Amino acid sequence: MNTKHRVLPLVFATLLSSVPAYAHHSFAAEFDGNKPTRLVGKITRVEWTNPHSYFYVDIVDAKGHSQNWGCEGAGPGALSRRGWKKGNLKLGDTIVVDGYRAKDGSHLIDARRVTFPDGRSVYGGSPGDGGPGDNGTDQGALPGTKKS
Amino acid sequence: MTQPLIQHVCQILYDSPIGTAIRESDNAFSVIESVHVLSITLLVGTIAILDLRMLGLILREIRVSRIARAVLPLTWAGFLFMLTSGFLLFWAEAAKNYLNPAFRVKMVLLLLVGLNPLIFHTTVYRRVTQWEIDHRSPWRARAAACASLLLWGGVIVAGRAIAYF
Repeated sequence: MNTKHRVLPLVFATLLSSVPAYAHHSFAAEFDGNKPTRLVGKITRVEWTNPHSYFYVDIVDAKGHSQNWGCEGAGPGALSRRGWKKGNLKLGDTIVVDGYRAKDGSHLIDARRVTFPDGRSVYGGSPGDGGPGDNGTDQGALPGTKKS
Repeated sequence: MTQPLIQHVCQILYDSPIGTAIRESDNAFSVIESVHVLSITLLVGTIAILDLRMLGLILREIRVSRIARAVLPLTWAGFLFMLTSGFLLFWAEAAKNYLNPAFRVKMVLLLLVGLNPLIFHTTVYRRVTQWEIDHRSPWRARAAACASLLLWGGVIVAGRAIAYF
């Protein structure tokens, strides 16, 4: 596993987790392309909503503490076209989410790639949002798929 | 904990089957958004024609009432579509919108921008036959025109800003 993509929880562990912004916006409005993050955890909540979807995972940080993180993805229409249907993810499923942290330091990442329990990966970003690897398609250049 | 009545109503709308269906839809939400934007262009575009005429910037040779008659049906059409599509979007996101500062600013601006034509039409526009051929309308009409352009601009900016909170 690429260490660059490990969770970066220690520094931020003491920060208050804040409410994710419920909004429609470009990547740069909310996320930091210099903070790639990988979350591995169990799903605790799914919001299959326009204009962006949100799902939440419980992860365990390096100190063994459990933390709940929010992941923001594209809207239902875009995700459905890529083969991710409502109800695909069940509470308690373990998923891997690669993305980038929110600029405000909250426990929120922009989900650029979501790997399901069956190993299938779906591009979770919004095409054309200007985020890292965005190539304007439903696939994007998924994090970790090319050397930078 | 008690919550304000408006917030309670917003939550009921948000949780309702229709609100949820729009919020979780594959396509409906973005279609409604597009209708909302298009109807705003119709509404504010036609209003701006009348405002700019009264400010003496365009169509100076044409009577104000002639322009008003021409644009008003389009303005109303834009208004109805805007209101309907806007309400559907609100229905889908009501509980989130309630807490959104930009949405609150937008609602206040909408109230003000609605008062403006009420005042205008019950005062200076009643005497439109006395000034409608003037290249530049009286100051009360120009003030209403400026208020209209500024407030509608503010509504659009605040509306766009909802997404960033």
